[in-house]
Amino acid sequence: MMQKHGWVVLSVFLGGSLGTLLRYLINMQTTALLFPVGTIIENIIGSLLLGTLTGWTLVKVIVPVLKEGIGVGFCGGFTTMSTLAADAVVLGGTDSMGSLATYLLISLFGGMFVAAIGLMIGQYLANRSVKKESREWS
Amino acid sequence: MVMNILLVALGGGIGASCRYLLGAWVKSRLKQRSIPTAMLMVNILGSLFLGLFFGWVYQEVPQMVYDDLPFLVFAVGFCGAFTTFSTFSVEAVTLLQKQKKRKFITYVGLSIGGAMIAFLIGMFLGSQVMKFI
Repeated sequence: MMQKHGWVVLSVFLGGSLGTLLRYLINMQTTALLFPVGTIIENIIGSLLLGTLTGWTLVKVIVPVLKEGIGVGFCGGFTTMSTLAADAVVLGGTDSMGSLATYLLISLFGGMFVAAIGLMIGQYLANRSVKKESREWS
Repeated sequence: MVMNILLVALGGGIGASCRYLLGAWVKSRLKQRSIPTAMLMVNILGSLFLGLFFGWVYQEVPQMVYDDLPFLVFAVGFCGAFTTFSTFSVEAVTLLQKQKKRKFITYVGLSIGGAMIAFLIGMFLGSQVMKFI
């Protein structure tokens, strides 16, 4: 398993470290706020980025070391579901159900909305790059 | 501060690597998958781990503990990076674009509800550990 995945695991490790570190730094800036704004920002930006990357790979091939390093590593490490679950439990326990619902709806629909936009952007950019390459060849 | 950064990065790197390896392993075992099972498992498992850790060490969901080293390496680092939201968003949208409405609802419900329930179960079990030590 490690032989087959060796270099990819290393790039996932590095991407994951970087993404997690960035998430930590954003969280540090938003701890004073009562609402978990930091997690929302991270989950939405990460979804946009992964959507774009996924859209690009639907059209063009990227070497696995780069694809998994950015996608599984960076985007995966930057976004999080466990903190979302903890945030949601805290909101549901201490506050009215309204803030819990708001938090889940913003995260869920925000994340999916930007992921869909990312998929379109990624495919558009990759198609443009393919056309540019074919022009250069002809 | 340097120690904090190193621990967060280390925990995050290990968490992301474990997610990748577990995902690759699950995908190699399950040929036919109706919903994205690997990420569902990872997110539920990671939320359970976070709940266990919070229940065991703090007996509550800790707030403002960004200088606590175990919190940084395990909660922010490992559990944060082991679970993921970006893959969840992309997979959910992909199911929706393929018009698989029922699978979409199952996947979204199991991911969010499953993560919250797993976290609560973890908190409960974790808080019980102290009583036996």
